[in-house]
Amino acid sequence: MSGLATLETGLLLGLYALLAGIWGVLWGLAQFRQTQICGRSAAAAYGLHVLAALTIILWTPLGFGWKSLIVGSSLVFLAIPPMTWRLLQHTHQKEGSEHDRQPSQYSSRIVARL
Amino acid sequence: MVVDDPAFWRAGAISTIAVMSVVLIMLTIDSLAAISPGGSHVPPYTVINQHIDYKFDSNRGFDVPVISGAEPLFGKSLDEATAAALIDRGKMVIQSRACIDCHTFFGNGAYYAPDLTKAWLDPDWEGWQAVTGTDTREAAMVKFLMDPEQYRTWTRAMPNLGVSEEEAQSLVAYLKWMAAVDTNGFPPNFNQIEKRQ
Amino acid sequence: MYRSQTLALKYFSAAITLFGVMTITGLISAYYYLNPDFLLGILPFNIAKILHINTLVMWLLMGFMGSIYWFLPAELGRETAGIWAAEILFYVFCAAVAVVAVVFIFIQYGGSNEAALWFINQGRKYVEAPRWAALGIVVIMVVFAYNVIGTAIAARKTTGIITVLMIDLIPLILLYLIAFPAISNMSADLFWWWWLVHLWVEATWEVLIGCIMALALMQLLGTSRRIVETWLYIEVALVLGTGILGLGHHYFWIGTPNYWLTIGGFFSALEPLPLLGMVVHAVYDAGAQHMKTTNRPAFYWMMAEAFGNFIGAGVWGFMITLPQINLYAHGTQWTVSHGHFAFWGAYSCGVISVLYLVLQKTRNLAFVDGPLWKWSFAALNLGLVGMTGALLVSGFVQAFVERAIGGSTLNAFISGQENAWFVDGMVARFLLALVFTAGYVVLVWDVLTLGRRAPAVAAVAPAQ
Repeated sequence: MSGLATLETGLLLGLYALLAGIWGVLWGLAQFRQTQICGRSAAAAYGLHVLAALTIILWTPLGFGWKSLIVGSSLVFLAIPPMTWRLLQHTHQKEGSEHDRQPSQYSSRIVARL
Repeated sequence: MVVDDPAFWRAGAISTIAVMSVVLIMLTIDSLAAISPGGSHVPPYTVINQHIDYKFDSNRGFDVPVISGAEPLFGKSLDEATAAALIDRGKMVIQSRACIDCHTFFGNGAYYAPDLTKAWLDPDWEGWQAVTGTDTREAAMVKFLMDPEQYRTWTRAMPNLGVSEEEAQSLVAYLKWMAAVDTNGFPPNFNQIEKRQ
Repeated sequence: MYRSQTLALKYFSAAITLFGVMTITGLISAYYYLNPDFLLGILPFNIAKILHINTLVMWLLMGFMGSIYWFLPAELGRETAGIWAAEILFYVFCAAVAVVAVVFIFIQYGGSNEAALWFINQGRKYVEAPRWAALGIVVIMVVFAYNVIGTAIAARKTTGIITVLMIDLIPLILLYLIAFPAISNMSADLFWWWWLVHLWVEATWEVLIGCIMALALMQLLGTSRRIVETWLYIEVALVLGTGILGLGHHYFWIGTPNYWLTIGGFFSALEPLPLLGMVVHAVYDAGAQHMKTTNRPAFYWMMAEAFGNFIGAGVWGFMITLPQINLYAHGTQWTVSHGHFAFWGAYSCGVISVLYLVLQKTRNLAFVDGPLWKWSFAALNLGLVGMTGALLVSGFVQAFVERAIGGSTLNAFISGQENAWFVDGMVARFLLALVFTAGYVVLVWDVLTLGRRAPAVAAVAPAQ
């Protein structure tokens, strides 16, 4: 791998992971705020993540195995926020009203303050 | 639902750790054989009696150490026990002077001073023979190690660590042996770019 | 208050003091890059660096121990077993750290013999402390394990979290024994050394901080035990599932067989996945909690922990973990950038969070808030993130100029280090380290005066 390709690939891999994180955060916020803008931003973040993945696959000199790993990771990244969320809701619901973690009327204001 | 039950996840954690640990132990046993002196990746200590080079291997796609012909260190060919004793001493010098907290070995350590993985092969030593008034690479290295402040390489001086001549010789032996370790091509392009040009 | 909790306060004081020593020696090391003759001959770079990285390990370890001594008696409903031994050993621990530091600063090196390794410097990164001190750490850890296990036995009960903790302490102690041998063969030496360093930092410490965060979450957010235990098991499964063989990313270039390139690359590439789960969990808790926390600094530092862990360990690690990139990035400032961010995110933020929880209890505060913690939170995080950004720039330059173009020789190294972009990165790193230091000073000020600044506390309204 040439020097420039190394730098580019490294940066793209970082961007790829960072965008997955942004996707997770925005997806979580969208669950509380239920506004279009939040949902769309989350989708846009994942879209950019896919774009980073595509760039890695089409432009970088990584081998086939590593590129497959990128594709696989992207699919898992897509699934992690909703899966984690469902599991969280499930475990918290079971605890009953004392520790009710359902979004309430306060939550949008609160999340906005974050 | 089973996912609500901590016991389910506890069982998952225990089995994951067990499987991964067993795999790690098996790989460790295999790797230890490969990295023992004389194993498939690490040369015996007597390699210091031979000529060592680092060349591009087109089959493996990176640079590998190439060991050929006799080239005794300090003009003396050493038997296995003497070579091993010299290497033991060299490692002791490396640890007692905390070399790894400025330099790196196989890229591990601190990043203030150059990597020493292939230091034995560094083309710069030829110039240092003239500077130190010596006629071999190993003699130049010994002179430098004994008084690095006098032979200052650049703005970052190496401090004088009170290295005796005997200690310096063992260090040089250590660096020569280390240059012959198969490091999967690390550091990349070492000394090859100039040669290819 | 239990005696164990009084001891916890002492451990936190020592931890924060060592955090300060780490910061100052870090500043010195950083300044060496700008002025190489600085303190040369008095305190060379390697000694400053040894103090920097060893106090890092020690302040975090003391922070962990303080956290456990704090939570343990409440968790099991009785005084910690053998607390008298722990109390004595605390002073022994502090004295030993001080003696080791004095020897490092004033004696620095010995000759190439076993005595030097026993009494002066072992010269192996992170475990430079001489063997007598390393033995002392083993004794302290064994007594610590006895405290935890003995308390559970005496109380005739345990909890899921404490069970995980007890099991975790065994490999924690066993792995530390790798701090002793001086193996001549560098490949074998580094092979085992990474068992210690990686399996401490990315396995046993992860579990330890997981237990501490679980205990802290129950106190901070009132989360139920069933939930925190479920998530602790999930975290342990995922982090160790990827982390144990993730060890392979340290076995790319040390003379080990090349199957490690595939195994290490694959498993460490999976490491960001569970960390994303933690980030989503943090968002869930933040939103669902309605921000009705009575301890805002603890809450924010816990959020910083989740995000910092993902970005520092996950994103920064992912950049350099594939062998093709790592060949160029390994052993450059790029690695330094990752190391700083990952340690900060994974551990430091968590310890600071627990510290604020402890202060709330000991100072009897209904609410913890105020301007000071915000300043320190901002300066520490800004300084740290800024430093890692600056180091990343320098690391890029080094990978490119020294490795790719230069061919990794001495001359190539010098060209990389003298490159204007590299130097600018180092200047920026130093300036941002000053910001970080300012954050530390404000943190100490806040910690010392919290609850004693009557007007500030009175002015704080419940955050709802």
